[in-house]
Amino acid sequence: MKLHEKILTHYLSCTSPVDKEGYLNKKKNRNDTYHRRWFVLKANLLFYQERPADRHLLGVIVLEGCAVQHSETDGHFTFSLVFGPGLKTYRFAAVDRQGQESWVKALHSASHCYLSMLVKDLARQYEEAKQQQSLGESHPSVSALKLPTNSFLFTTTQQTAVVREGRSFSASTLLQAPSIPAKAVAKKSPKLWTRRHAYVTPLNGPAPLYGEWPLVGFDPLEDFSTLHDYYGQEVKKAREDWLKSRQKEEDHTDQDLIDLG
Amino acid sequence: MRFNEKELVLLSRQPSERAAELGMRGPKKGDVVKKRLVKLVVNFLFYFRTDEEEPIGALLLEQCRVEREDSQTFSIAFLDEAERKYVFECDTEEQCAEWIDSIIKASYEFMRKNLIFYRTEIHRLTGKDPLEQYGISDEARFQVSNGRPLVARDTSSL
Repeated sequence: MKLHEKILTHYLSCTSPVDKEGYLNKKKNRNDTYHRRWFVLKANLLFYQERPADRHLLGVIVLEGCAVQHSETDGHFTFSLVFGPGLKTYRFAAVDRQGQESWVKALHSASHCYLSMLVKDLARQYEEAKQQQSLGESHPSVSALKLPTNSFLFTTTQQTAVVREGRSFSASTLLQAPSIPAKAVAKKSPKLWTRRHAYVTPLNGPAPLYGEWPLVGFDPLEDFSTLHDYYGQEVKKAREDWLKSRQKEEDHTDQDLIDLG
Repeated sequence: MRFNEKELVLLSRQPSERAAELGMRGPKKGDVVKKRLVKLVVNFLFYFRTDEEEPIGALLLEQCRVEREDSQTFSIAFLDEAERKYVFECDTEEQCAEWIDSIIKASYEFMRKNLIFYRTEIHRLTGKDPLEQYGISDEARFQVSNGRPLVARDTSSL
């Protein structure tokens, strides 16, 4: 079967994101030796070459229908891609445990099938979240959110490559990242999702009205007096208005409220 | 370049919702239309001689441009070479539209963008990152700005 290589190499070199890259030792099945190779993971494809700068690609592994397994082989941080009986098993060794773990995790979530399931799951959660939002108090920007039919926001097609019979496809078990052995230090995920991100403009809907945005570049702990003055202005105005209306009332009470003729 | 051929052939035999006999013409001058069983599995387009078990070839559907050529024909151009297109002739207008739609949505990059959109929106609506429950929040592939800003892209990046 012809795999159109130029298309693959073009995809590798284009600007779409690289999901992971680095050196790994790849085991040669024939003679149990390891060769150091530079690997680049992009989408569901694992490319490898001798060195990062090399133009010549040695090979590619299409990551569909394989299980990622890690193994504890005395001192070596090994893991493998297992395609099943009669099919290939690719064996690798990382330099250290961190490398092993991060590759295993990255490869586990690399397949198209995995991404497809994940997108479907999030699409469902998104619909639920939107419904919750409209059931609760209506937030103007959310209720105005419209999804143009030709936007890229489609639910994915129903096709799922059922790669192996007998494998359970319950979404939550399959989507779960592989459990790392207890010896590993739990890494805290980087703070990408700080509170500020809650105000990211929705792609297919209007941005919230200006007044709803937080004061940009404002740190309440340092500038409390600024905050105090800012909100204080509103209070000041309200008070002035009230005083004015009281003034008018007093003027009016000089006359009889009821004209008795 | 080496690749896991046996496994890819097996992948081509998986059930697909988008498989049909279409007229297919290659990109080179002089290529003629031939009847092929064309099958979309994950982000690959496999094509077979009718009644053969092993596909003749596999086209990766990333970084390609899918276009309507006429009412029943669509084309796929790769490598930013707009003139070098694979052309596919369908039986009906509807079938043609369905194929174009399926191919666009099959791209990994398209799905990734969808995922990032949902992740951002769910976080905005609920304050929670939906990927945390799966332990994949910090995977590079799911990040909001993985080299690009979070905006709608034109189809050439598909």
